[in-house]
Amino acid sequence: MNDALDKLLQSPRLWRGHAQGKAWQGLATGYPRLDEHLPGGGWPRHALTEILLEHYGSGELKVLMPALARLSRGCDGDGADPGWLAWIAPPFQPYPPALAQWGIELSRVLIVRPRRAEEALWAAEQALNSGNCAAVLLWSTALDSAASRRLQLAAEQGGCWAVAFRPRRERKRHSAAALRLELRQGVQGTDIHILKSRGGRPAAVRGVINDYASLPGS
Amino acid sequence: MTSAGNKPVPWRDAAPTPAVRFRAAPQQQSLALPATAAGKPATPLARATSARQLWLCLYLPALPLEAADVSLPPAAATAAGQAPLYAVFEEEQGTRRVLMASPAAHEAGIHAGLSVNAALALQPALTLAERDRFRERQVLEDLAGWAERFTSFVTLEPPDVLLLEIAASLKLFDGLEALRAKIVTELTALGYSTLPAIAPTPLSATWLARAGSRRSVVAPERLHGALIDLPLACLAWPERVTASLAGMGIEQVGDLLRLPRDGFARRFGSARLGELDRALGRLPDPRAHFRAPQHFREDCDLDGEQDDSELLLGVCRQLLDRLERFLRTRQLAAQRVTFRFYHLDHPATQLTLGSLTAGQSSARWMELMRIRFERVELPAPVIAVRLRAADGQALAEQTAGLCLGGADRHDQSIAPLVERLAARIGEQAVRGMHAVAEHRPDLAFRTPRVFEEAPQCRASLPATSDPARPELLADMRRTERLLLRRPLWLLEEPEPLACRDGRPCRQGPLTLTSGPERIETGWWDEQGVARDYYVARSRQGVYLWVFRDRREGRKGPGEGGGWYLHGMFG
Repeated sequence: MNDALDKLLQSPRLWRGHAQGKAWQGLATGYPRLDEHLPGGGWPRHALTEILLEHYGSGELKVLMPALARLSRGCDGDGADPGWLAWIAPPFQPYPPALAQWGIELSRVLIVRPRRAEEALWAAEQALNSGNCAAVLLWSTALDSAASRRLQLAAEQGGCWAVAFRPRRERKRHSAAALRLELRQGVQGTDIHILKSRGGRPAAVRGVINDYASLPGS
Repeated sequence: MTSAGNKPVPWRDAAPTPAVRFRAAPQQQSLALPATAAGKPATPLARATSARQLWLCLYLPALPLEAADVSLPPAAATAAGQAPLYAVFEEEQGTRRVLMASPAAHEAGIHAGLSVNAALALQPALTLAERDRFRERQVLEDLAGWAERFTSFVTLEPPDVLLLEIAASLKLFDGLEALRAKIVTELTALGYSTLPAIAPTPLSATWLARAGSRRSVVAPERLHGALIDLPLACLAWPERVTASLAGMGIEQVGDLLRLPRDGFARRFGSARLGELDRALGRLPDPRAHFRAPQHFREDCDLDGEQDDSELLLGVCRQLLDRLERFLRTRQLAAQRVTFRFYHLDHPATQLTLGSLTAGQSSARWMELMRIRFERVELPAPVIAVRLRAADGQALAEQTAGLCLGGADRHDQSIAPLVERLAARIGEQAVRGMHAVAEHRPDLAFRTPRVFEEAPQCRASLPATSDPARPELLADMRRTERLLLRRPLWLLEEPEPLACRDGRPCRQGPLTLTSGPERIETGWWDEQGVARDYYVARSRQGVYLWVFRDRREGRKGPGEGGGWYLHGMFG
């Protein structure tokens, strides 16, 4: 009897909703209101996060900055070493003085600019698998469900936080990401809609980022 | 010759290596007598003797044959268990004559001097290659590099002689015989046959080796006795001189040494006399130290045109293995290697591989090469491959060029990843970043390639450090108003904005929310700017960093208004 139940529980086709296992190891976002709605109290540390957005510049970097800053400085409580941040195929130049203002250790930033989309995916997978990167950010328009599964797998194996930015029109597409967010500009600033979170529930957090220059929590 | 006349001549200053000096037992009133200009005995030389030297000469009689790039027909001959038939020819006054033939070919009747046509008529299966003096020289230099493992002093005597000074190596290698046996075994394993000889002076060792006598003359007193039986041919003097000597009935070195000194010098020149004196150790014989080249360059010619990528990778592996040996024997490491693939009708294809940490291991380079090779489309089949490694650096040195490392340069954990990325998508596509103390936004940062030397000047910007720590956060809030915020995204080139009613537009009019922040000048490097920066909010709610070019505005405020988008706050 128990055997049969165990087998059933291990079946990948069974979705167990809220009670499923334990939530991921959270990496505090630096935005307490957002943390409340995320299952592990923060970003999924060894998994893929997808951020869907309409326009670049709608707060997609700002929402990551506090977590990235801590990873790059290695001051994340558990005595971790400073980690590398790989930016793969960013659409514009990430501006170092601003990154430094947000507390990013610039010497830990690696910018990769592949010429083709499949090279970007390859580079992201390499970076995730290498086990040397704390976070890998990927901008890609060629992310299908197979690619997202590979990234998710590589993130788990490499123990790395993967973030993929996708255009909002792809929100209906299937994705293997552990967390999917959509950024929208609302009346009070950037709203974050949690479309999917493994072990959590969809939610909308309004006005997380409400000023172009504000620091988190203000 | 004033004050130095009665003092020992400072030979060591003049010569890089003190040659053997000792007093030969005067036997006859002849060439064998010590020589000085005044006819006095050359005692200063004998007295100036420092350490005793011992020279091992490696004469490579079959070098033209062994160095020749003979591509044997693969199947037939070797499968039948036969020794390969091949020969090297040289062109002389229009006729091509066999210079040297392999042992099997020699037995089949192919001997030196035979014309190529006659040889082919005798043995249609004969493989022929033209003598390649350049390659011989290269082989000799390679062997000199190899010989450096036995002694610190190796010298070349082109075209076919290597000289090793071994007196100081005897103890390390368990004596003379053991050392000689080791050298000969290793050389044979490398595929070169040699006639070794040992003597106290380099010239006498060379002569003994050329004469084919495998003798070891260690005691200087016995040198004279060892040389007298040698035929004149081993001196390798010009034909004219030996013919003239033969006419006088002189056929051995011993006969030569019995000739009167002044008459010999008058007839054959004092240079020849000096040569005899140097061979007998009466005059110093300084030799130039062989210096192994620190740059690696190796070619590999393929049989015809090849386009099989596995075969080409195999060739690359061979070359990388050679590079590894080269680096290892010199205690060097390479940080960048370049492959060139030569095609018949196309310019060569070049592939450069870089690594963050200088290394030797061929396996690591091979891994990068595989990644890189996948992405390369060769325009044509390949006929030859060349591998070059630029700057060998001393292995012990801390490798430079890791501009990513920044704060702690010792963290090289990222190196394998960066190397793989650079190998596949190109070095220019993988970059680090750092900020520069500069007020013009475009110039306030650098994105150096990862293999570049780290620059000296870095800015320390007011970092807001850890936002998670509340006390810091409070502190930051206080200073926040003072801090000039910069956008997280910067456009590489400012994007001109449309202007309606004096307001900048981008998918609808923009609302300026703060500013202006005036950024000006830069007359010192002729990239001056005059801009007023504003933070603008677009209709979609995106915060933008825009500026108005004041110089353009002055020209004519009419059409464009001089508004540009330069960044987004992300």
